[in-house]
Order: sequence, then C-alpha cells, then structure tokens
Amino acid sequence: MSPSNRTAQPSALRRFWHKWRFHLNALLLLIPLGFMPKYFADAALFRGDVGLGEHEVGEIQVGPWSLRLAELRNEAPRLSGPAGYMKDFNAALCDACVEQVKATYLRIGKPRSLRAAGVIFFGTPYRMGAQLPVAEKTKADAELWITMEGWDGSMHQASIPLSQASPATLAWLNQQGAKP
Amino acid sequence: MSKKSRSKLWFLVHSWLALPIWFFVLIVCVTGTLAVVSQEIVWLANPQMRASQPSDDAPRLSYDQVLAAIKQAEPQTLVESISRPDESHFALDVEVSYPDGRSQTVYVNPYTGVIQGPAPDFNFKAFTRALHGWWLVPFTNGFSWGWYLVSFLGLPMLASLVTGLVVYKRFWKGFFKPTLRFRHGARIFWGDFHRLSGIWSIWFIAVISITGTWFLIQAILADNQVSISSEPIIPAMSRESVPMSSDASPPPRISLDRAVQIAEQHIPGLEVSFVSLPGNAYSHLSLGGRGWYPLMFQTATLNPYNGEMAATRLLTDRSSLEFVTESMRPLHTGDFGGLWIKLIWFFFGLLLSMMVLSGLLIWTKRTALATANALKRENKKARSPRVSREPAEVSL
Repeated sequence: MSPSNRTAQPSALRRFWHKWRFHLNALLLLIPLGFMPKYFADAALFRGDVGLGEHEVGEIQVGPWSLRLAELRNEAPRLSGPAGYMKDFNAALCDACVEQVKATYLRIGKPRSLRAAGVIFFGTPYRMGAQLPVAEKTKADAELWITMEGWDGSMHQASIPLSQASPATLAWLNQQGAKP
Repeated sequence: MSKKSRSKLWFLVHSWLALPIWFFVLIVCVTGTLAVVSQEIVWLANPQMRASQPSDDAPRLSYDQVLAAIKQAEPQTLVESISRPDESHFALDVEVSYPDGRSQTVYVNPYTGVIQGPAPDFNFKAFTRALHGWWLVPFTNGFSWGWYLVSFLGLPMLASLVTGLVVYKRFWKGFFKPTLRFRHGARIFWGDFHRLSGIWSIWFIAVISITGTWFLIQAILADNQVSISSEPIIPAMSRESVPMSSDASPPPRISLDRAVQIAEQHIPGLEVSFVSLPGNAYSHLSLGGRGWYPLMFQTATLNPYNGEMAATRLLTDRSSLEFVTESMRPLHTGDFGGLWIKLIWFFFGLLLSMMVLSGLLIWTKRTALATANALKRENKKARSPRVSREPAEVSL
C-alpha cells in the first residue's frame, strides 16, 4: 500500500515525508504563535493601556466643552457584515464637562437636527466608544461632525476634516474611488 | 464485503480520523480542559480574587452597598458592571473605568466591599478560551477562520466516537468487565486504556462533539446572516423618557437594589447575579441571573430613571429550538452548576486528551512492529532471490 517501499532506495525526501507526515500538523501551532503578539496588543488596546486608541486625533473644542478623540485602530474601516463598513472612534470628555454632557454623537456630514446627530457614544466619560458607518462613496473632503448635548438642553457642534480624524479612512476612500 | 474486511475498513476510518491531525486535536483538547477550570486556576494564583468572609455570620453586601464602598474608596472610579460569580469563594468581578481612560476588572470582596486588586493584565481565562475557541485568530468581519478551524473538529470527533464503537465489538461488556492490563507491554496497556476510557466517556465525547459541531453551524448561520433568534431588539430610550433636569446636572437614577427588587418581582425565581449600568443617558439598566433552569440566563432591562420595565427575556420567551441551541455553550464548557460540574468536565477533558495520545501511541506501536517485521522480511529477501509480497504497512 505504501509506495515508498516499492523502490529499493527511497529518496531522502521521501523517507522524511514518510517518517514525519503525521506529525506535520504540529506546524498548525505556528498559527496561534503568530497571532499571539496581536492578541496581547489588542488586549492592551481594549484595556486602554496604550491610550484612547491607536491614533489620537487630539483635543477638540465643542462650544464650551471639549473632548479628546482617537481612532481605536489606525486603519481603514472594517466591513461588518450587511451593516457595511464601520470605523471605531473613542473619546474622553474634559474634566469640567463630565457632569454637564448628556450625550455625544458622531456623524459624517453636518446633522440637520439633534435627532439626526449620528451615532451615540457608549461608555463612561473617561473612555467611550462609537461605531461610525462609513459609506464607500463618501467624498474625500467630508467632515466629521461632533454633536454634544447638555443636561440643560443645550447643543453644541464642531467639525474636523475626515482626513484629519482618520487618515487611514481617507486613503481607503481614495482607493475605493480608483475602482471601476 | 465480508464482515471481517468491513470491520477492518471501519478500523481504518477510525484511525485516519485523528491520525493526520493528532497534535492539533490534542492541543485543542488540552486547552479546552484548562479553560474549564481557568477561573479556578486564576483563583489559586491570585489571592485578591478570593472572597474571604470576615466572620462566619457576615452578610453579603447588596449591590448598592458595593457601589457605595467603591465610591468611598475611589471617588473618581466609575463602575460599569458588577457580576457575582457562581461560586461563593470568588470575589465580585467589577468592571471599572478610570479617569486616565483605562478600563479594568477589579476584584471586590462581597462581604466588605474592599477593592482587593485588579485582575492580572495577563487574563489567563480569556487567553485559554481564545486559544481553545479560535486558535487566537482575530475576528475581523464575522467569525474568525480560527473558529471554523477548531469547531470543524466536532465532526471527526463525532465520527471517531461512532466508528470506535462499531470497531469495538460488544463494547458494553467493557462496563462489566473493565480490563486494564499493566504487565503486557505498552501496546496492550494503551489499547486497554483507549477502550476503557472510551466507553466511559461516550456521553462526554457525544456532548463535546455535538456542541462543537453546533459552534460550527452557529458560525455558518451568522456569517450568512441567518438568524434563529426570537429575541426582539430593544430600542434606545426615547428623548421623552429621559427626564430633564433643572440644574443642568444628571437627574437621579433609581438605586441598584430597587432595580433588583423590581426585576425579582417581575421574574419569579430570579436570582440577580449581574448588573450592567447604562452606557449613556439613553441606554437602559440591565440585570439578570439564572432561574430554575441552570443553563440559561434571564434578564430584565429597565429605565434607570423611573424603574419602568422596558423588556424582559425569560426562559418562557425562548422557542424550543432556542432552548436547545442556547444550552449548547454551557454544556460544552461545563460552567452551569458550580465547581463539581467543572471538575467532572475537567476530568473527562483530561481523559479525552489522553485518548488522542493513546490512539497515537497504539498506532506508532503497531507501525513500529510492522516496520520491524517488514525489515525482517527484507533481510530474508536479500538472502534468497525469491520475490516476496510487499508489506502492507498502513493497514496494520
């Protein structure tokens, strides 16, 4: 049944294969070993050991308040099933506004009203996250709008260029445009 | 096909199912076995995870008392959730957020409210589960391919169980006359061991392989956007249901103990074991725990300002299909009935790992024997010019 026995002098390669063929699957262990650095880097990222995210956008003034914004990952939006492409942002409120801000929202393009302010941040004022949908045909000069709503009923807005908020997203958008 | 050659064929199938991937299967079995008791291992290694009772009659603190104790010790720290592990020797797991932006799980004594320390940065429990469950391959869009790689093993494992029982004629006799021969060489010992542990593990191998196969089906369903869930999506709270405040500060929320009281009134038999605080001004307070059926949780979702019940998810809300599918995970992990169930799962996990190893040992011993025989024949052939038949190694 085993063909290697048929020749009088099997080649070294053949002998090696014959001897080790059932142990080669141990090489599958290289997969988790290879992903291990990323696993621990991700764990540290989610714990916040390395700051708000991989790419800090900086402090953004929104009316009387301000927040620190960061991209969770310094990379292009990720496809999230049928929901389309998503980009994760993290934010931290300024010390003075922790008690005053009721909610913070993120949207590409200027919101027409508070009811359409975009995706809402979840978490604590020290570290909160929002998942922003990014359409593939978003314009390269699009702006990221931050809306903050106060417990007193007030609303303040600010915007920054998407290219500043997420250079990786812009590179990705340019690539999308290159497609036929 | 004759009866003999048919059983030989089954035998071949049985050995081929695991042989080419034995090391992979072994590591998945070993990491799974470790994952079952990972919480206990962390408990042994970290004194801050232990819930020591100051005196025999010291009562457990309520959720509000725990919250107050944390607030007093660390006024800046914000609590995101509190969870009471199943076994009373574990401290509370409290997820907190610090002003510097870090999120941590800290261990809090359930009797004194003392923050005993943070969970170690190396999360052994999560690591063994990630290694066992998806081979550490990250999830990017849908399920990770590592998840498919591992959960696919449910199929050859189920087939191993069936072919093993077909090959082992009248296996039920093994229950009455257990044989484990120590003095007849390694080959006989491992053969006996393989068969004996095999028949006593029939139920366990069936449970693990069927639930493992479910994980594969679950991934396939999810990645193809097929949902069997009857659980409604709870919308965020409307603007109107969040009260305005006159002094521009957050309006008061109901206490956690009041929330527990409301939930337990609505859901008879519920013992609240976790509380998840609202993630923003428009999100709910949710809490839950087990009821009479230990394999599933029941949850309540409340408006944190007025205590109004927004939604509940009870045992009776599940369809009969969900009763089966939602039971799969706890059946696989053994974390539904305290330490003893975990120890049973751990023991049979070890046995299953040993079965992979003993199966391999049997095979190598057979091959070693067959190779020795083949060599003997080769030598004979060299001395006499007669052409002999080729040795058939694989079927040995």
